[in-house]
Amino acid sequence: INAEYMGHKISDKVYVGLAGLATDNQTVYERIKFRSSLYKLREERDLSPKALASMISHMLYERRFGPWFTEPIIAGLDESNNPYVCAMDLLGADCIPGNFVVTGTCSESLYGCCESFWRPDLEPDELFETISQALLSALDRDCLAGWGATVVIITKDKSVTREIKCRQD
Amino acid sequence: AMECIGHAGAALGILSKNGIVLAAEKKVQSKLLDNEFNGKHSDTSCEKMFKIDDHMAVAVAGLTSDANILINWARTVAQRHTLQYQEPAPVELLIQGLCDMKQGYTQFGGQRPFGVSFLFAGWDVYLGFQLYHSDPSGNYAAWKANAIGSNNTAAVSMLKQEWKEDLDLDQSILLAIKVLLKTMDSSALSPEKLEFSTLTLNEDYKPRFRILGAEELNKYLQQAKEIQEKEDREKEKKKEAEKGK
Repeated sequence: INAEYMGHKISDKVYVGLAGLATDNQTVYERIKFRSSLYKLREERDLSPKALASMISHMLYERRFGPWFTEPIIAGLDESNNPYVCAMDLLGADCIPGNFVVTGTCSESLYGCCESFWRPDLEPDELFETISQALLSALDRDCLAGWGATVVIITKDKSVTREIKCRQD
Repeated sequence: AMECIGHAGAALGILSKNGIVLAAEKKVQSKLLDNEFNGKHSDTSCEKMFKIDDHMAVAVAGLTSDANILINWARTVAQRHTLQYQEPAPVELLIQGLCDMKQGYTQFGGQRPFGVSFLFAGWDVYLGFQLYHSDPSGNYAAWKANAIGSNNTAAVSMLKQEWKEDLDLDQSILLAIKVLLKTMDSSALSPEKLEFSTLTLNEDYKPRFRILGAEELNKYLQQAKEIQEKEDREKEKKKEAEKGK
Protein backbone atom coordinates (compact mmCIF):
# COMPACT_ATOMS: atom_id res chain seq x y z
CA ILE A 1 0.00 0.00 0.00
CA ASN A 2 2.89 2.31 0.70
CA ALA A 3 4.19 3.10 -2.75
CA GLU A 4 7.17 5.10 -1.57
CA TYR A 5 9.76 5.19 -4.26
CA MET A 6 13.27 4.93 -2.93
CA GLY A 7 15.28 5.66 -6.01
CA HIS A 8 15.48 9.17 -7.41
CA LYS A 9 16.68 10.51 -10.71
CA ILE A 10 19.24 13.28 -10.54
CA SER A 11 19.95 13.33 -14.25
CA ASP A 12 19.52 11.00 -17.21
CA LYS A 13 22.65 9.12 -16.27
CA VAL A 14 22.79 9.43 -12.50
CA TYR A 15 20.38 8.01 -9.95
CA VAL A 16 20.47 8.08 -6.18
CA GLY A 17 18.75 5.65 -3.81
CA LEU A 18 18.18 6.41 -0.15
CA ALA A 19 17.50 3.87 2.58
CA GLY A 20 16.85 4.49 6.24
CA LEU A 21 14.49 6.78 8.10
CA ALA A 22 11.81 7.76 5.58
CA THR A 23 11.58 11.38 6.64
CA ASP A 24 15.35 11.78 6.42
CA ASN A 25 15.30 10.09 3.01
CA GLN A 26 12.84 12.71 1.78
CA THR A 27 14.69 15.63 3.32
CA VAL A 28 18.09 14.54 2.11
CA TYR A 29 16.70 13.98 -1.36
CA GLU A 30 15.22 17.48 -1.40
CA ARG A 31 18.57 18.94 -0.35
CA ILE A 32 20.35 16.94 -3.02
CA LYS A 33 17.90 18.30 -5.57
CA PHE A 34 18.61 21.83 -4.34
CA ARG A 35 22.36 21.48 -4.72
CA SER A 36 22.26 19.59 -8.00
CA SER A 37 19.84 22.10 -9.61
CA LEU A 38 22.18 24.95 -8.70
CA TYR A 39 25.16 22.97 -9.97
CA LYS A 40 23.38 22.37 -13.25
CA LEU A 41 22.50 26.05 -13.67
CA ARG A 42 25.96 27.32 -12.78
CA GLU A 43 28.16 24.72 -14.45
CA GLU A 44 25.78 24.21 -17.40
CA ARG A 45 26.35 20.47 -17.37
CA ASP A 46 24.99 17.49 -15.47
CA LEU A 47 26.53 16.20 -12.28
CA SER A 48 28.82 13.25 -12.73
CA PRO A 49 28.17 10.41 -10.27
CA LYS A 50 31.56 10.94 -8.66
CA ALA A 51 30.85 14.63 -8.05
CA LEU A 52 27.41 13.79 -6.70
CA ALA A 53 28.89 11.21 -4.35
CA SER A 54 31.37 13.75 -3.02
CA MET A 55 28.61 16.29 -2.59
CA ILE A 56 26.36 13.88 -0.67
CA SER A 57 29.23 12.69 1.46
CA HIS A 58 29.96 16.29 2.41
CA MET A 59 26.27 16.97 3.06
CA LEU A 60 26.04 14.00 5.42
CA TYR A 61 29.23 14.83 7.29
CA GLU A 62 28.00 18.39 7.87
CA ARG A 63 25.65 16.71 10.34
CA ARG A 64 28.38 14.67 11.98
CA PHE A 65 26.99 15.08 15.50
CA GLY A 66 23.30 14.74 14.69
CA PRO A 67 23.25 12.80 11.46
CA TRP A 68 20.64 12.22 8.81
CA PHE A 69 19.58 8.60 9.29
CA THR A 70 19.94 7.69 5.70
CA GLU A 71 22.42 5.51 3.82
CA PRO A 72 22.54 6.49 0.18
CA ILE A 73 23.60 4.66 -2.93
CA ILE A 74 24.74 6.57 -5.98
CA ALA A 75 24.71 4.83 -9.34
CA GLY A 76 25.33 6.19 -12.78
CA LEU A 77 27.48 6.57 -15.83
CA ASP A 78 30.27 9.11 -15.84
CA GLU A 79 31.19 11.37 -18.78
CA SER A 80 32.85 8.54 -20.70
CA ASN A 81 29.85 6.28 -19.99
CA ASN A 82 31.73 4.06 -17.55
CA PRO A 83 29.56 2.66 -14.77
CA TYR A 84 30.04 3.97 -11.26
CA VAL A 85 28.40 2.73 -8.06
CA CYS A 86 29.00 4.09 -4.61
CA ALA A 87 27.47 3.46 -1.20
CA MET A 88 27.74 5.58 1.90
CA ASP A 89 26.99 5.22 5.55
CA LEU A 90 25.00 7.83 7.41
CA LEU A 91 28.07 9.94 8.12
CA GLY A 92 29.26 10.07 4.54
CA ALA A 93 31.98 7.43 4.48
CA ASP A 94 31.87 6.27 0.91
CA CYS A 95 32.94 3.03 -0.66
CA ILE A 96 33.37 2.50 -4.35
CA PRO A 97 33.85 -1.23 -4.90
CA GLY A 98 33.40 -1.35 -8.65
CA ASN A 99 30.96 -4.24 -8.78
CA PHE A 100 27.86 -3.73 -6.64
CA VAL A 101 26.66 -1.86 -3.58
CA VAL A 102 23.74 -2.58 -1.26
CA THR A 103 21.89 -0.71 1.43
CA GLY A 104 18.75 -1.10 3.49
CA THR A 105 17.21 -3.47 5.98
CA CYS A 106 18.23 -6.73 4.32
CA SER A 107 21.66 -5.58 3.24
CA GLU A 108 23.42 -8.65 4.67
CA SER A 109 21.38 -11.05 2.58
CA LEU A 110 21.65 -8.69 -0.38
CA TYR A 111 25.43 -8.87 -0.08
CA GLY A 112 25.19 -12.64 -0.22
CA CYS A 113 22.85 -12.66 -3.21
CA CYS A 114 24.82 -10.12 -5.20
CA GLU A 115 28.09 -11.88 -4.47
CA SER A 116 26.79 -15.11 -5.91
CA PHE A 117 24.86 -13.67 -8.89
CA TRP A 118 27.14 -10.88 -10.09
CA ARG A 119 29.61 -11.37 -12.94
CA PRO A 120 31.63 -8.68 -14.69
CA ASP A 121 30.61 -7.38 -18.15
CA LEU A 122 26.90 -8.10 -18.01
CA GLU A 123 24.68 -6.84 -20.82
CA PRO A 124 21.78 -4.54 -19.80
CA ASP A 125 19.17 -7.31 -20.04
CA GLU A 126 21.35 -9.80 -18.18
CA LEU A 127 22.02 -7.13 -15.60
CA PHE A 128 18.30 -6.60 -15.14
CA GLU A 129 17.77 -10.32 -14.55
CA THR A 130 20.69 -10.53 -12.15
CA ILE A 131 19.71 -7.55 -10.04
CA SER A 132 16.04 -8.50 -9.93
CA GLN A 133 16.82 -12.06 -8.80
CA ALA A 134 19.26 -10.84 -6.17
CA LEU A 135 16.78 -8.25 -4.88
CA LEU A 136 13.81 -10.59 -4.79
CA SER A 137 15.72 -13.42 -3.10
CA ALA A 138 16.83 -11.11 -0.33
CA LEU A 139 13.40 -9.41 -0.01
CA ASP A 140 11.54 -12.65 0.42
CA ARG A 141 13.52 -13.52 3.54
CA ASP A 142 13.14 -10.10 5.15
CA CYS A 143 9.98 -9.24 7.03
CA LEU A 144 10.53 -5.49 6.75
CA ALA A 145 11.20 -5.39 3.03
CA GLY A 146 8.78 -6.36 0.28
CA TRP A 147 5.67 -5.18 -1.59
CA GLY A 148 7.43 -4.98 -4.93
CA ALA A 149 10.60 -3.59 -6.40
CA THR A 150 11.59 -0.94 -8.91
CA VAL A 151 14.63 -1.52 -11.06
CA VAL A 152 16.31 1.17 -13.15
CA ILE A 153 18.80 0.11 -15.81
CA ILE A 154 20.96 3.04 -16.91
CA THR A 155 22.62 2.78 -20.31
CA LYS A 156 24.30 5.48 -22.33
CA ASP A 157 21.28 5.99 -24.58
CA LYS A 158 18.47 5.77 -22.09
CA SER A 159 17.47 4.62 -18.64
CA VAL A 160 14.63 2.13 -18.29
CA THR A 161 12.56 1.81 -15.13
CA ARG A 162 10.70 -1.42 -14.47
CA GLU A 163 8.39 -2.35 -11.62
CA ILE A 164 8.56 -5.88 -10.33
CA LYS A 165 5.74 -7.62 -8.51
CA CYS A 166 6.68 -10.03 -5.77
CA ARG A 167 5.09 -11.74 -2.77
CA GLN A 168 2.89 -9.13 -1.13
CA ASP A 169 3.70 -10.15 2.39
CA ALA B 1 23.01 53.57 -14.01
CA MET B 2 20.00 54.15 -16.24
CA GLU B 3 22.22 56.01 -18.69
CA CYS B 4 24.65 53.13 -18.89
CA ILE B 5 21.82 50.76 -19.70
CA GLY B 6 20.63 53.05 -22.44
CA HIS B 7 23.91 52.37 -24.24
CA ALA B 8 23.89 48.63 -23.72
CA GLY B 9 22.77 46.05 -26.25
CA ALA B 10 19.04 45.92 -26.80
CA ALA B 11 16.85 43.21 -25.37
CA LEU B 12 13.15 42.75 -25.84
CA GLY B 13 10.48 40.41 -24.62
CA ILE B 14 7.05 39.58 -25.96
CA LEU B 15 4.29 37.70 -24.17
CA SER B 16 2.19 35.45 -26.35
CA LYS B 17 -0.65 33.12 -25.49
CA ASN B 18 1.52 30.00 -25.54
CA GLY B 19 4.92 31.28 -24.53
CA ILE B 20 7.31 34.15 -24.08
CA VAL B 21 10.01 35.25 -26.50
CA LEU B 22 13.16 36.97 -25.32
CA ALA B 23 15.34 38.52 -27.98
CA ALA B 24 18.66 40.28 -27.59
CA GLU B 25 21.24 42.01 -29.69
CA LYS B 26 24.77 40.82 -29.19
CA LYS B 27 26.79 43.96 -28.66
CA VAL B 28 30.21 42.37 -28.80
CA GLN B 29 30.90 40.63 -32.07
CA SER B 30 34.35 39.65 -33.08
CA LYS B 31 36.04 36.82 -34.88
CA LEU B 32 38.29 36.42 -31.85
CA LEU B 33 35.41 35.90 -29.45
CA ASP B 34 35.57 32.32 -28.25
CA ASN B 35 32.38 30.41 -27.69
CA GLU B 36 32.37 29.16 -24.11
CA PHE B 37 31.05 25.72 -24.88
CA ASN B 38 33.36 24.77 -27.75
CA GLY B 39 30.50 24.91 -30.18
CA LYS B 40 28.09 22.87 -28.08
CA HIS B 41 24.65 24.37 -27.70
CA SER B 42 23.59 25.36 -24.19
CA ASP B 43 20.04 25.70 -23.01
CA THR B 44 21.04 27.48 -19.82
CA SER B 45 22.69 30.69 -20.85
CA CYS B 46 24.18 32.74 -23.61
CA GLU B 47 25.64 36.22 -23.72
CA LYS B 48 22.51 38.09 -22.71
CA MET B 49 20.05 35.52 -21.46
CA PHE B 50 20.18 33.28 -18.44
CA LYS B 51 18.03 30.56 -17.01
CA ILE B 52 17.08 31.12 -13.39
CA ASP B 53 15.10 27.95 -12.83
CA ASP B 54 13.19 25.55 -15.03
CA HIS B 55 10.31 27.99 -15.25
CA MET B 56 12.09 31.34 -15.30
CA ALA B 57 14.67 33.14 -17.37
CA VAL B 58 16.06 36.65 -17.77
CA ALA B 59 17.38 38.85 -20.53
CA VAL B 60 19.96 41.36 -19.37
CA ALA B 61 20.86 44.88 -20.43
CA GLY B 62 23.69 46.70 -18.72
CA LEU B 63 26.76 45.68 -16.76
CA THR B 64 27.12 41.92 -17.12
CA SER B 65 29.18 41.69 -13.94
CA ASP B 66 26.38 43.22 -11.88
CA ALA B 67 23.90 40.96 -13.65
CA ASN B 68 25.87 37.85 -12.71
CA ILE B 69 25.60 38.64 -9.00
CA LEU B 70 21.86 39.18 -9.21
CA ILE B 71 21.30 36.10 -11.35
CA ASN B 72 23.24 33.92 -8.93
CA TRP B 73 21.21 35.35 -6.09
CA ALA B 74 17.95 34.73 -7.94
CA ARG B 75 18.95 31.14 -8.70
CA THR B 76 19.73 30.45 -5.05
CA VAL B 77 16.51 32.05 -3.84
CA ALA B 78 14.44 30.03 -6.33
CA GLN B 79 16.03 26.80 -5.13
CA ARG B 80 15.57 27.72 -1.48
CA HIS B 81 11.86 28.31 -2.12
CA THR B 82 11.59 24.91 -3.82
CA LEU B 83 13.40 23.28 -0.90
CA GLN B 84 11.01 24.75 1.61
CA TYR B 85 7.70 24.61 -0.26
CA GLN B 86 8.36 21.81 -2.76
CA GLU B 87 6.96 23.90 -5.61
CA PRO B 88 8.59 26.15 -8.21
CA ALA B 89 8.94 29.70 -6.88
CA PRO B 90 6.15 32.00 -8.07
CA VAL B 91 7.61 34.48 -10.52
CA GLU B 92 6.41 37.67 -8.89
CA LEU B 93 7.67 36.58 -5.48
CA LEU B 94 11.15 36.09 -6.83
CA ILE B 95 11.12 39.44 -8.61
CA GLN B 96 9.86 41.27 -5.55
CA GLY B 97 12.74 39.81 -3.55
CA LEU B 98 15.26 40.75 -6.21
CA CYS B 99 13.90 44.27 -6.52
CA ASP B 100 13.85 44.76 -2.75
CA MET B 101 17.53 43.94 -2.79
CA LYS B 102 18.19 46.38 -5.63
CA GLN B 103 16.28 49.10 -3.80
CA GLY B 104 18.41 48.57 -0.71
CA TYR B 105 21.45 49.56 -2.71
CA THR B 106 19.84 52.86 -3.64
CA GLN B 107 18.94 53.86 -0.13
CA PHE B 108 21.49 52.40 2.29
CA GLY B 109 25.17 51.76 2.59
CA GLY B 110 26.59 54.31 0.18
CA GLN B 111 27.23 51.61 -2.42
CA ARG B 112 26.37 52.17 -6.05
CA PRO B 113 23.23 50.60 -7.48
CA PHE B 114 23.32 47.59 -9.78
CA GLY B 115 23.72 48.86 -13.33
CA VAL B 116 21.40 46.32 -14.93
CA SER B 117 17.90 46.19 -16.28
CA PHE B 118 16.21 42.84 -16.50
CA LEU B 119 13.44 41.40 -18.58
CA PHE B 120 12.09 38.41 -16.66
CA ALA B 121 10.13 35.73 -18.43
CA GLY B 122 8.42 33.22 -16.19
CA TRP B 123 5.58 30.75 -15.85
CA ASP B 124 3.82 29.60 -12.73
CA VAL B 125 0.57 27.81 -11.95
CA TYR B 126 -0.94 30.92 -10.36
CA LEU B 127 -0.62 33.50 -13.10
CA GLY B 128 0.54 31.61 -16.18
CA PHE B 129 3.05 33.27 -18.47
CA GLN B 130 4.41 36.57 -17.18
CA LEU B 131 6.87 39.13 -18.44
CA TYR B 132 8.37 41.63 -16.00
CA HIS B 133 10.79 44.47 -16.39
CA SER B 134 12.96 45.74 -13.53
CA ASP B 135 15.48 48.57 -13.47
CA PRO B 136 18.33 49.65 -11.16
CA SER B 137 16.02 51.61 -8.88
CA GLY B 138 14.22 48.44 -7.89
CA ASN B 139 11.05 49.34 -9.76
CA TYR B 140 9.32 46.50 -11.54
CA ALA B 141 6.19 46.11 -13.61
CA ALA B 142 4.47 43.41 -15.60
CA TRP B 143 4.33 43.89 -19.36
CA LYS B 144 2.82 42.30 -22.42
CA ALA B 145 5.80 43.38 -24.47
CA ASN B 146 8.77 45.53 -23.55
CA ALA B 147 12.25 46.46 -24.63
CA ILE B 148 15.34 47.55 -22.71
CA GLY B 149 18.77 48.76 -23.71
CA SER B 150 19.67 50.95 -26.65
CA ASN B 151 16.83 52.40 -28.73
CA ASN B 152 14.30 50.96 -26.37
CA THR B 153 11.85 53.85 -26.72
CA ALA B 154 11.68 53.29 -30.47
CA ALA B 155 11.28 49.57 -29.90
CA VAL B 156 8.52 50.04 -27.33
CA SER B 157 6.54 52.41 -29.54
CA MET B 158 6.79 49.93 -32.39
CA LEU B 159 5.66 47.12 -30.12
CA LYS B 160 2.74 49.27 -28.98
CA GLN B 161 1.53 49.49 -32.55
CA GLU B 162 2.16 45.95 -33.60
CA TRP B 163 1.42 43.82 -30.53
CA LYS B 164 -1.90 42.00 -30.70
CA GLU B 165 -3.77 40.08 -28.05
CA ASP B 166 -3.80 36.70 -29.76
CA LEU B 167 -0.27 36.36 -31.09
CA ASP B 168 1.18 32.89 -30.84
CA LEU B 169 4.83 32.04 -30.26
CA ASP B 170 5.97 31.94 -33.89
CA GLN B 171 4.28 35.23 -34.68
CA SER B 172 5.90 36.78 -31.61
CA ILE B 173 9.33 35.66 -32.78
CA LEU B 174 8.68 37.24 -36.16
CA LEU B 175 7.46 40.41 -34.50
CA ALA B 176 10.60 40.54 -32.37
CA ILE B 177 12.76 40.20 -35.46
CA LYS B 178 10.81 42.96 -37.17
CA VAL B 179 11.26 45.34 -34.23
CA LEU B 180 14.96 44.54 -33.85
CA LEU B 181 15.51 45.11 -37.56
CA LYS B 182 14.19 48.63 -37.21
CA THR B 183 15.95 49.53 -33.99
CA MET B 184 19.33 47.87 -34.38
CA ASP B 185 22.14 49.69 -36.07
CA SER B 186 22.92 47.00 -38.61
CA SER B 187 20.85 46.63 -41.74
CA ALA B 188 20.82 42.86 -42.07
CA LEU B 189 20.30 40.41 -39.26
CA SER B 190 22.15 37.15 -38.82
CA PRO B 191 22.33 34.61 -36.02
CA GLU B 192 25.77 35.88 -34.99
CA LYS B 193 24.31 39.22 -33.99
CA LEU B 194 21.18 37.96 -32.29
CA GLU B 195 20.14 35.74 -29.46
CA PHE B 196 16.62 34.40 -29.20
CA SER B 197 15.13 32.25 -26.48
CA THR B 198 11.68 30.99 -25.66
CA LEU B 199 9.89 29.92 -22.51
CA THR B 200 7.07 27.52 -23.31
CA LEU B 201 5.12 24.68 -21.79
CA ASN B 202 5.80 21.26 -23.20
CA GLU B 203 3.22 18.47 -23.56
CA ASP B 204 3.08 17.47 -19.92
CA TYR B 205 2.62 21.06 -18.71
CA LYS B 206 6.23 21.50 -17.66
CA PRO B 207 7.81 24.85 -18.47
CA ARG B 208 10.83 24.72 -20.69
CA PHE B 209 13.41 27.36 -21.49
CA ARG B 210 15.20 27.01 -24.83
CA ILE B 211 17.81 29.09 -26.56
CA LEU B 212 17.24 28.98 -30.30
CA GLY B 213 20.07 27.49 -32.30
CA ALA B 214 21.54 29.08 -35.41
CA GLU B 215 19.59 27.06 -38.02
CA GLU B 216 16.28 27.61 -36.28
CA LEU B 217 16.99 31.31 -35.98
CA ASN B 218 17.92 31.45 -39.63
CA LYS B 219 14.56 29.94 -40.56
CA TYR B 220 12.73 32.66 -38.67
CA LEU B 221 14.98 35.35 -40.11
CA GLN B 222 14.20 34.06 -43.59
CA GLN B 223 10.49 34.09 -42.86
CA ALA B 224 10.68 37.61 -41.44
CA LYS B 225 12.59 38.81 -44.46
CA GLU B 226 9.97 37.37 -46.81
CA ILE B 227 7.17 38.99 -44.84
CA GLN B 228 9.04 42.29 -44.83
CA GLU B 229 9.58 42.14 -48.58
CA LYS B 230 5.93 41.36 -49.13
CA GLU B 231 4.92 44.32 -46.99
CA ASP B 232 7.33 46.61 -48.80
CA ARG B 233 5.92 45.51 -52.15
CA GLU B 234 2.38 46.21 -51.00
CA LYS B 235 3.39 49.62 -49.75
CA GLU B 236 4.96 50.34 -53.13
CA LYS B 237 1.79 49.26 -54.89
CA LYS B 238 -0.30 51.49 -52.67
CA LYS B 239 2.00 54.44 -53.36
CA GLU B 240 1.75 53.82 -57.11
CA ALA B 241 -2.01 53.62 -56.82
CA GLU B 242 -2.11 56.94 -54.95
CA LYS B 243 0.17 58.56 -57.48
CA GLY B 244 -1.99 57.24 -60.28
CA LYS B 245 -5.00 58.96 -58.74
